[in-house]
Amino acid sequence: MSSILPLPPRDTGMHIPDGYLSPSTCAVLYALAASGWYAALRRVKRAFLTRVIPLISVFAAFSFVVMMFNVPLPGGTTGHAVGVTVATIVLGPWGSILAVSLALTIQALFFGDGGITTLGANCFNMAIVGSFAAYGAYRLLTARSATGSRRKVWAAAVAGYLAINVSALVAAVEFGIQPSLFHDASGSPLYAPYPLHIAIPAMMIGHLTFAGLAEAAISAGLIAYLQKADPSLLRGSARLAPGIAGATVIPVGHPPERRLWLTVAVLMVCTPLGVLAVGSAWGEWSAADFSNPATRASMAQASGNQAPPAAVPGGLHRLSTLWTAPFPGYAPRFIRSAGFGYLLSAMFGVGVLAVVALLAQIAGRRKGRTPLL
Amino acid sequence: MSDSSFMALTLRGFARAFSKALLSERTAALPGFLQSFDPRVRVLGLFSLVLAAILCRKMTVVAILFLLATTMALASCVSLASLAKRVWIVVLAFTGIIALPALFVTPGDIIFRLPLLSLPVSAQGLQTAGLLLMRVETAVTLTTALVLCTPWTHILKALRSLHLPAEVVTMLAMTHRYVFLLIETANQMFESRQSRTVGLVTGPEKRKMTARTAGVLLSKSIDLSHEVYLAMVSRGFHGEIRLLTDFHLRARDYAMLMAFMLASGLAVWMGR
Amino acid sequence: MPRVFDIQEIAFDYEGIPAICGLSLQVEQGERIALVGANGSGKSTLLRILDALYFPGSGSISFHESPLTQNRFHQDGDFFLNFRRRVALVFQNPDVQLFNPTVFDEVAYGPLQLRWSKEDIVRRVGETLESMAISHLKDRPPYRLSGGEKKRVALASVLVLDPEVLLLDEPTSTLDPRSQSQLIDLIQQWRGTAKTVITATHQLELVEDIADRVIVLESGRIIAAGTPPEILANSELLLKANLIHAHRHSHDGIMHSHPHSHRHGHHEHEP
Repeated sequence: MSSILPLPPRDTGMHIPDGYLSPSTCAVLYALAASGWYAALRRVKRAFLTRVIPLISVFAAFSFVVMMFNVPLPGGTTGHAVGVTVATIVLGPWGSILAVSLALTIQALFFGDGGITTLGANCFNMAIVGSFAAYGAYRLLTARSATGSRRKVWAAAVAGYLAINVSALVAAVEFGIQPSLFHDASGSPLYAPYPLHIAIPAMMIGHLTFAGLAEAAISAGLIAYLQKADPSLLRGSARLAPGIAGATVIPVGHPPERRLWLTVAVLMVCTPLGVLAVGSAWGEWSAADFSNPATRASMAQASGNQAPPAAVPGGLHRLSTLWTAPFPGYAPRFIRSAGFGYLLSAMFGVGVLAVVALLAQIAGRRKGRTPLL
Repeated sequence: MSDSSFMALTLRGFARAFSKALLSERTAALPGFLQSFDPRVRVLGLFSLVLAAILCRKMTVVAILFLLATTMALASCVSLASLAKRVWIVVLAFTGIIALPALFVTPGDIIFRLPLLSLPVSAQGLQTAGLLLMRVETAVTLTTALVLCTPWTHILKALRSLHLPAEVVTMLAMTHRYVFLLIETANQMFESRQSRTVGLVTGPEKRKMTARTAGVLLSKSIDLSHEVYLAMVSRGFHGEIRLLTDFHLRARDYAMLMAFMLASGLAVWMGR
Repeated sequence: MPRVFDIQEIAFDYEGIPAICGLSLQVEQGERIALVGANGSGKSTLLRILDALYFPGSGSISFHESPLTQNRFHQDGDFFLNFRRRVALVFQNPDVQLFNPTVFDEVAYGPLQLRWSKEDIVRRVGETLESMAISHLKDRPPYRLSGGEKKRVALASVLVLDPEVLLLDEPTSTLDPRSQSQLIDLIQQWRGTAKTVITATHQLELVEDIADRVIVLESGRIIAAGTPPEILANSELLLKANLIHAHRHSHDGIMHSHPHSHRHGHHEHEP
């Protein structure tokens, strides 16, 4: 096919071009990305001091080139990896954010692969979300395992697969919310035209199969190769910045963090179970529930068969008009499946918390902790 | 797919990267329209037009922006064939395929049905697919014009004087510079292996070879970064980043900048 | 003549592997020295120690009687910049040294770090490019230069600061014959000037042209020192240092083997 049509330097997988996301979406994602870049630059400078520029730049160049590799996949096809997993394992998540973002910027600006209004979004999806997803998964799976163990290899594969699919999911959500948020008077979408229930499956199919497998294959293959040929690269920053007095090493196994990640992941996954709970949680009633006979019955049942007051309690009525949560009823209207809505809302909530935590750290300038995370 | 064709694909990708860089270097040296303005004006002006194309809600206005972009590119010694081959057809292939189902899937007033499959095409679908395609084509034409007419170092220095942090600019410059060295290295590695892949049949073997090439490249990259660091220190680098910029704004640069801003503003207003 | 470098019994490990052991060396101003040794003998390492990029684990090194220590470089900014201007190293791999986007930027890098004024930088860079005959390349990116051009740019990038000491690491490797001879001419130009030139090479054929003193390294130690004729005549020594070989070959149709190097075409038959 490439002899008939001039294909771009690489098959544009997750690289979102200009025009697919509204200006406001782009602005929000640029802001998120910028806070990530800022935090990453500070940490990486602290870890590598004056070596930051050559180390991150050359690694970014390496990432760029790896993104161009056609990775042979089962079935005789090929796919492209992003390389975010290897970058995270070798440089740590913050270094990876910078290196992958630099590579994406050059792809967008110089090679036209990905838009410039959507550069913030692409960096957020692939470099930031991707790095953290890869980091979390890899650390969770390799805790307390030796540098040379087989576990590191398949952990890299799983982490890579997960990272790509989480990135793709985030991108799919960004696409999917466009039609309902940004359309003209006649209802035609102004940017990405497909709602969530089409965007998500469409994006995920390509990544659950090709891109995810390509990333998994490259990540696993690279870790396996490094274990034999250059194991010091897997053991922390000493190899990356030799000669720096007190070069810090990435901690191996850090139980409190691991438990946190694990708890969050479990909670996220369990949120759809909330749908299954019969009736509504006691006390979480809206003003409208008081007039609806069906909910009145369930309220009575939940309250030990005591009938609820006939009128809406005054205080509740006043408060309910004050604040309408962005996701009323925890699920945006345009999502068909309630369970999926819960999962999205949870992820959104976690994302907000993470950003707040990040900003709090920047403001508080925490010193003395291991610089790489 | 034959044994070494996945490598051939990669090698072709490498060759395309070099040819793009070469075309950019050649075009930037030609006496064209865009080339005659200060790089900062080019960067700001063309970015503002991209933003206008994204902010516009009317396909007709975006189409006008597209014509404007094309005219500027042609006036800047970019050939029509280059534009068509490198930009328009590529975008059509990618976004065209993505936008196509929108014709049938977007709810709204049905205009006609496709004869064979009786698929309904809505006016909204037509509008949305057309707008999307037009936007992407316009944006990519604008950024391509900028990059072909402006040396990479000038783009970076323009961004620096627009207050992008010095470290970021330096890293972008160094990344760009070493991308080509690493592509060359990877190119050599693949070419030498290509002649030895007669025995490679199984998928796992091919994947292992790809990963091994990436691994060697990684080790070399880390070693390279160490050497570059020493070279920098040897010439006096001590953490401070200093850049030399030599841009001067003349009257015509100001005029062109105003023209860009006006055009963008007008487009946004007309397309609201 | 003032003593430029005074090295006393230094030792240096690279990632745990000893690279230099018990090495002492004195270099006077204006000397032209050739450091010869096989790959891995420690030539590059020694040059980097001389350029204060590596610091020895034991022993001492001083430059014009100022000790070179890591602390000194970190704390004394003026000393750091002063040293960097006066001592210059040309790396073996030019791609490592050409890390700036264009040739002009590369040559301007040193003066920029040394905080020269913009006018001075532009003027001096122009002069240097002229003298190396590479003015036409000033806007080229490094990946569009040939091997010889890269080497010339690398040289220009250090000569722009007019250093007192030039450290050259295998300067003619990867060069075509013409570029090689141009480089040798350049090094010969500095004979009799105040410039001190230390060249690391494993190519014996260059040594007579570029040096007055030869120092032979093997496994991180100095095993001999002398004038070029002295050293080059000592086949046993050169064989031990892995600088010449003794494979079988033929003269006048007779197959034999004896120590030799392939310099100036090997026609003589030494019994």
